[in-house]
Amino acid sequence: MFSEEQIERYSRHIILKEVGGKGQKRLLNGKVLIIGAGALGSPAALYLAAAGVGMIGIADSDVVELSNLQRQIIHHSGDLGIAKVESARQKMEAVNPDVKVNTHQLWIGADNILEIISNYDFVIDGTDNFAAKFLINDACVMAGIPYSHAGILHFIGQTMTILPNQSPCYRCVFPEPPPPNTIPTCSQAGVIGVLPGVIGSIQATEAIKFLLGVGELLTGRLLVYDAEELDFQTVPFDRNPNCPVCGDNPVITDLRDEPEAMNVCDLV
Amino acid sequence: MKVTIKLFAGFRENRFRVEERDLPPGFTVADLLRELGINEPELGVALINARHVLPGQELHDGEVISLFPKVGGG
Repeated sequence: MFSEEQIERYSRHIILKEVGGKGQKRLLNGKVLIIGAGALGSPAALYLAAAGVGMIGIADSDVVELSNLQRQIIHHSGDLGIAKVESARQKMEAVNPDVKVNTHQLWIGADNILEIISNYDFVIDGTDNFAAKFLINDACVMAGIPYSHAGILHFIGQTMTILPNQSPCYRCVFPEPPPPNTIPTCSQAGVIGVLPGVIGSIQATEAIKFLLGVGELLTGRLLVYDAEELDFQTVPFDRNPNCPVCGDNPVITDLRDEPEAMNVCDLV
Repeated sequence: MKVTIKLFAGFRENRFRVEERDLPPGFTVADLLRELGINEPELGVALINARHVLPGQELHDGEVISLFPKVGGG
């Protein structure tokens, strides 16, 4: 049963026929993990909290730095030096006290990822390096947990939703991380601050649609957004039978960290 | 054959944003990457007329090819 306050708070959802009281209940019972409380994670966390997603996990090992604030909108100037997960928790709880926030202040690695993601219905990849992106893909595929991939750089962003063993995974499209030092980091190449607002919000949209069971997810297609030309392209992809993780004869059957593929936006 | 090449993000650096080039018949995406000095592992997606293609794909007259690097930021 909803409280009077909840009926008022979620009224614009409840009057949508695609949501209704039933859908809002699903959101309140939903569990979403956001890995990375950075540029992509900020809008995703705020929108999921506002929407009333009942349990939101947020994982990040960093503290808030001044150079984050141009794009990581969940962190404020008064948060410098505090753990990003703590800063994010405070904002999410301030937006919506209905939300239970689990903070994971740690580096997500091969040794802990499966245990952490197993508590959630959907995962949002808001990380800033290829090692984490490949690890999240492999772990979610192995555990059968749906997730939203995204990456940003310069003025371009991309995102794609993965339903393990039903839709193409990140490795179907990108089998291997790029060799070290071939791709500039965000700190070398820069990133326009509003870009992750668009992409992270799309990731939150996908999480909410998944929990509600409405619409078409961004599966089997990669959305590429060019903010400079304001151009969106959705590029269809098929599952790759030779995919090293979800193909017919997977060669990746254990999780491993790929530290050589680290491409950290904030720490470099 | 004339092909329009669009580059994105860091691929533009010391190159161009968009350029039309006259290429010999049978020229592939991999040939183009070599000519542009882009290492294949840096390539995220190559699109010809908005369809995803692999580096072995041949280019044809009048096509537009877009080259995006891998993007790992977040």
